[in-house]
Amino acid sequence: MRDIARTDSAAARIRAVAQKEVVDIFRDRRTMLVTLVTAIAAGPVLMLLVLNLVARQADKVRELSLPVAGREHAPALVAFLERQQVTLVPAPANFEEKIRTGDLDVVLEVDPGFAADVAKGKPATVRLVYDRSRDRARASIAEVEALLRAFNREWGRGRLLLRGVAADVANPLNVEPRDLATPQSSGALVLFLIAFYGLFAAVMGGMAAALDTTAGERERASLEPLLTTPVAPLELATGKWLAVVVLNATAVVLTLSGFYLMLRFAPLPAVGIPFLFGLAELGRFVVALIPLILLMPAILLYVGSRGRSFKEAQSNLSVLLFVVSLIPIVQMFLQKKEPAWLTWIPISGQYALLSRALRGEALPLTELLQSFAVPSLLTLGALLAVARLFSRESVLAGK
Amino acid sequence: MIAVDDVAKAFGRRGEVHAVDGVTLAALDGEITGLLGPNGAGKTTLLRVLATLMVPDRGRATVDGHDVVRDRYAVRRHIGVLSDARGLYPRLSARENIRYYGALQGLSGDVLEARVDELIRALSIAGIADRRAQGFSQGERMKVAIARALVHDPQTILLDEPTNGLDIMSIRGLRDLLRELRAQGKCLLFSSHVMQEVSALCDRIVILGRGKVAATGTADELLAQSGERSLEDAFVRLLGSGEGLAA
Repeated sequence: MRDIARTDSAAARIRAVAQKEVVDIFRDRRTMLVTLVTAIAAGPVLMLLVLNLVARQADKVRELSLPVAGREHAPALVAFLERQQVTLVPAPANFEEKIRTGDLDVVLEVDPGFAADVAKGKPATVRLVYDRSRDRARASIAEVEALLRAFNREWGRGRLLLRGVAADVANPLNVEPRDLATPQSSGALVLFLIAFYGLFAAVMGGMAAALDTTAGERERASLEPLLTTPVAPLELATGKWLAVVVLNATAVVLTLSGFYLMLRFAPLPAVGIPFLFGLAELGRFVVALIPLILLMPAILLYVGSRGRSFKEAQSNLSVLLFVVSLIPIVQMFLQKKEPAWLTWIPISGQYALLSRALRGEALPLTELLQSFAVPSLLTLGALLAVARLFSRESVLAGK
Repeated sequence: MIAVDDVAKAFGRRGEVHAVDGVTLAALDGEITGLLGPNGAGKTTLLRVLATLMVPDRGRATVDGHDVVRDRYAVRRHIGVLSDARGLYPRLSARENIRYYGALQGLSGDVLEARVDELIRALSIAGIADRRAQGFSQGERMKVAIARALVHDPQTILLDEPTNGLDIMSIRGLRDLLRELRAQGKCLLFSSHVMQEVSALCDRIVILGRGKVAATGTADELLAQSGERSLEDAFVRLLGSGEGLAA
């Protein structure tokens, strides 16, 4: 008998497992389709829709076309509005009906006694007719209200001047708005979408692959022969974990790159909310998501190993994923200042860091390290748990 | 060389199912030992204990002197196992399936490639070597499973019902291969519930029934022990009247 040159190295076995699993995963059309479609397509496409919605509302304000009833009673107001680039159109007779059905957003109705009231020095009346329950109309309503207030101010100021009173006398309070939002911190919904999808990719990216390599391995009856080779359960778990981490990281980077490329190059409508998702933000996102990129595959492998079949594992997973994806949504609606301990909690901590990155801030090192601590321990724990499952005799029973 | 001494293994919540119940046997190098028994006799459980997949409740088993419990990783380096479950990776080619097991056994580089090529030739699967295992026939799957079990040239080879689901040509090819391995001085332990299989191939036969060894010996010795003319009758008699293959 001749001897074959062999080594006995745990590292070599882990590498062999990881290499084989990566090849296996990337050849699996179902896994790749699920991963790539959810990661790359869904996020950016959804964002494009949101941006278009925002843009349409913005356009509405800019090209305000205002139906007016009884414009002949208030020529000064009409002249003012036309100076402000508002297109005035005659209101149809049944405009109240049309507002109710949503065909019109807002109508300005000048009271027939307008000129008479002005002549008597009494406040003249205009009516603004709208249906405030219509989201779509809100921008137009606000715009018309603002214009009417401006007209009111200008007119009042003119009257004071005529009486030799300085206009400032009537304006003892000077409100000077200073918005501390950086350009990036506006457009909150769009930003939330990016953060959410970044998290989503890190949580979901490895799912199909993790199930295939655990529950799938059992279902295909390839686990038992594998366990007769010198690969130890922990080596097997580690190798499989590394492979799923590679896929998960790929999914995250692709998703974020999708956002980046779209915001950078796609012919986006002029939204009027300048915000940044440049390479620096992309990099900060990846760094903030590292704990999840490492943790989720370990958890997914654990859940997958507990299932005797692909189906069983899948239904166990859906509960977990539901909880995980709920966290950032709850956090967004809370809208309060996050308590400091939140950075320690997986998902929550990452979401908080992503939000900061989106506001254009650098990631603070202490909080970054805090956000790494718990996920690292959990990753280790999950890997040991997977190894324990692989060394149980009952993994054979399911075949 | 395999030595099994009073090994027992029970299943069930209170351990009430005695799958293997005090088995003692030896399988020598340069011989094919057949483990013959009806379904449920404990063949697969015994092989799983030897393959280090299960820890016996009592007794002791060694492969080439390595204890299957204490030195399980040493044992795994010395055995090649064709287990009851023989799933391949459908998205990997035959060659990649074999190469994976070689890498796990510590082979690498040119040594690994040469060994994989050698097995592909020996099992005449060159035609399917670079095709994905997805659409392989039963016979092709079995050949690849055997190749990956032998990739590290193990001294001891365990085969659980290797002929299950194979056509006659594949069975003949398998027999030739096992005889060749015997000629190389390997120790082969091979389970089956088919008498013809065992008698055609095995130097020594261990008849298992209900987790116990019912009889041991060469085919002729078993005939003599039972006083029957055919091995089939001997098998039924040695297992006791109530239990045959149909039981």
